[in-house]
Amino acid sequence: MFRKPLWKVAALAMVLMIAACSQPEEAGNIDANAAEKEGAEAEGGNLVLATTAAPTLFNPYYSTDTSSSTIEGFIFSGLVTVDQDFNPEGDLAESWDFTDDGLRWTFHLRENVKWHDGEPMTADDVVFSYTIPKDPDYVGPRGLPFEIIEEVNKIDDYTVEFVLSEPYAPFITITAQFEVLPKHILGEVPIAELGKHPFNTKEPIGTGPFKFKEWKEGEYIALEAHEDYHLGAPKLDGLLYKIVPDTNTSMAQLQVGEISMAGISPEYVGMAQDLEAKGMVKLESGPSNAFEYIGYNLRNELFQDKKVRHALTHAIDREAIIQAILGDAGTVAHGPGSPANWAFNPDVPKFEYDPEKAKQLLKEAGWEPGPDGILEKDGKKFEFALKTTSANEIRQQIAEVAQQQWAEIGIKTSIEVLEWSAYVEQTSPPNWNFDAIVAGWSIGSDPDPTWFWHTSEIEAGLNYNGYSNSEVDELLSKNTQIADLEERKAVIAEADAIVTEDQPNTFLYYPEGYLAISPKLVGPSYNAANTYYKIHEWYFEQ
Amino acid sequence: MTTYIIRRCLMAIPLLFLISVISFGIMKMAPGDPTALMMDPMIKQENLEAYKESYGLNDSIVVQYGRWLGNMVQGNFGESFIRQGVPVSELITARLPNTLLLMLVSTFIAFIISIPLGVWSATKRNSLQDYAITVVSFLGVATPNFWIGLVLIMVLSVHLGWFPIGGVATYGEPFSIWDRLHHLVLPAFVLATADMAGLTRYSRSSMLDVLRQDYIRTAKANGFRQKTVIFKHGLRNALIPIITIFGLMLPSFIGGSVIIESVFAWPGIGLLFMEAAFQRDYPVIMAVVVIAATLVVIGNLLADILYAVFDPRIEY
Repeated sequence: MFRKPLWKVAALAMVLMIAACSQPEEAGNIDANAAEKEGAEAEGGNLVLATTAAPTLFNPYYSTDTSSSTIEGFIFSGLVTVDQDFNPEGDLAESWDFTDDGLRWTFHLRENVKWHDGEPMTADDVVFSYTIPKDPDYVGPRGLPFEIIEEVNKIDDYTVEFVLSEPYAPFITITAQFEVLPKHILGEVPIAELGKHPFNTKEPIGTGPFKFKEWKEGEYIALEAHEDYHLGAPKLDGLLYKIVPDTNTSMAQLQVGEISMAGISPEYVGMAQDLEAKGMVKLESGPSNAFEYIGYNLRNELFQDKKVRHALTHAIDREAIIQAILGDAGTVAHGPGSPANWAFNPDVPKFEYDPEKAKQLLKEAGWEPGPDGILEKDGKKFEFALKTTSANEIRQQIAEVAQQQWAEIGIKTSIEVLEWSAYVEQTSPPNWNFDAIVAGWSIGSDPDPTWFWHTSEIEAGLNYNGYSNSEVDELLSKNTQIADLEERKAVIAEADAIVTEDQPNTFLYYPEGYLAISPKLVGPSYNAANTYYKIHEWYFEQ
Repeated sequence: MTTYIIRRCLMAIPLLFLISVISFGIMKMAPGDPTALMMDPMIKQENLEAYKESYGLNDSIVVQYGRWLGNMVQGNFGESFIRQGVPVSELITARLPNTLLLMLVSTFIAFIISIPLGVWSATKRNSLQDYAITVVSFLGVATPNFWIGLVLIMVLSVHLGWFPIGGVATYGEPFSIWDRLHHLVLPAFVLATADMAGLTRYSRSSMLDVLRQDYIRTAKANGFRQKTVIFKHGLRNALIPIITIFGLMLPSFIGGSVIIESVFAWPGIGLLFMEAAFQRDYPVIMAVVVIAATLVVIGNLLADILYAVFDPRIEY
């Protein structure tokens, strides 16, 4: 559940990936008595985190999983990071400026930055790192964020200039967040072999607040404070990142104080609230940077009439879904985006729960109830399959509710629950083998909606719906070229409003995220942008 | 005997080869490849292609298998596709001892608890004790052991604080046998419950069979004490079929522990295998399969040899 400044991965990673790892649940609630951890100071200054999935390697230009990128965030630093509201903030760069055409970016580096081995960090390291993905021998996943870079120039030891091929707003929130690697260690390594270099798994050296200490296979990754950290020595002695594959087990560890903080998935919110009532954790929550929806395949002629899509949405009682299935851990979504994000537009057309209106709209669209009560048009019945994945129980339950509520207005649906990789294969390009899906997207540190709605993303991108609207295309193409935040926000808001009116999806809800924190730990607070913001200032109260 | 063992070992070679061919085929039939989990709009297709190319994933399955086999016969398991640059043997050596320790201790617990229980149950046939043991064994067979594990964690670890919750050792403490045992007891016991129920039933019925034999009656008629009859004449003979069970249990050393390893955050080979299967980390999957298959072969051989040791009628 932790989302790090996370961009790296991008604009969006399927929310599902997180849920995909969850284990079969134990029945019943966990009654939290007792369990006073003996000698709370025994934890000393170690921040203890737990993950269900082990990391793979610590090099941001090669890793693709959340655990690895979280740890990379502790070991390395990028030119910039984001604060708790997704605003870019200087990290290795003290400040930056760009020319009016948005093509030339100059970063002024801090002069007091030291690598974990004591060497000073300079412009050479930045130039080295940011040209790795541009190298023809590069074998790694991160080519795309660097494509717009034409040149990386060292102006002097502490000034770097980037020349872009076109103005691109996410340059600062995605590309410039990539972490810098030490040239004095890796400079001589052939780029083709960088992904397999022992540096990544045995002895990563960075400039971040914590130094790599030990990776005990299958057990934990231990880090210790980097006393020369450029923003100030961390108050914590170290950080322990434990691998606990079963969520039930990690929740038990949270209960006895063996874990200092943990993201809480919806199934465990009740338990976490109990723990909070007993004073065993602080529980914080807020919107997470994601939205859940039922997506329609617009290639299917059933869904090509906008009135029909409006009707489908009017028929779904989202308030009830949030209450009954999520235990109120969400807010009704009318359009795309997320209230956690600065670009969110709350002022979009709204389609309230109104089955009568739904019937009315369907009638206008030419659908009449047949003898068996199912709507018919030109001898064709209104029936389709609703797909989702076994990796996400909540979505399965939503599918059942939707099936029932659509049945009430005369639409027949069958539910197909698929194993995760089969689901991905069927629903993504080039198969698009679905009528409708219950799904969700997580948005990255840059709110660019191009991925979801632009016509150019139909063929191979995330626009699974096959949604195409020239007006939206135009706005979206413009959005990444605008450097001014307010101006860009207005453009995104306009596009979001049009998309909402078109309802290629029934937007369901914006999930609420929860973070349980040890009562003695001072510093962290729930936010969707950067969970470990200013971690070097965190400490344990006595 | 020696020739028998040598012959069996030689027979194992084509068997292991066949297992590896089938496993490789099944593994490749599963949808996706190591790049499937890198689903991310910020990843270009051509980057993924370069990755596949560098690991030879675009070659035909025969070529890929041949390459794997060639390395394998030289004792080289290759490098992980996901944990790039890390030799598979390094992952296995880090994990295998944990699994073996857990399995040996749990098997030991299972045997020392269930054999006496089975024997006792058999000698008190149809008594209240016998029924009680039978009921408990059936409950044991029917209860999934990850559930037992979670309940024990809640009660013994969370509420009573007697045991640590998962892991193999306390972080930051110097190595100590006591600490290791402290972490080991719970998962080993839970894992043992799975085998215990069955073993108790087996040893009960095996003992009952033996007790009905003529030589037992003769021994009794000769005036030997009940204890001597049961333990000296009876038990030794009753154990023979149990050896088979032991042989059959060996293969589950790797697969059978996945869920318990997961519940107790025990960094064993079962978890490694599960992770590798999800990530389609082919070299790791194949390494674990080969090791598991070898264990099966050794287990069966061991059981056969033990037969001869326990039963003088058997000769090879």
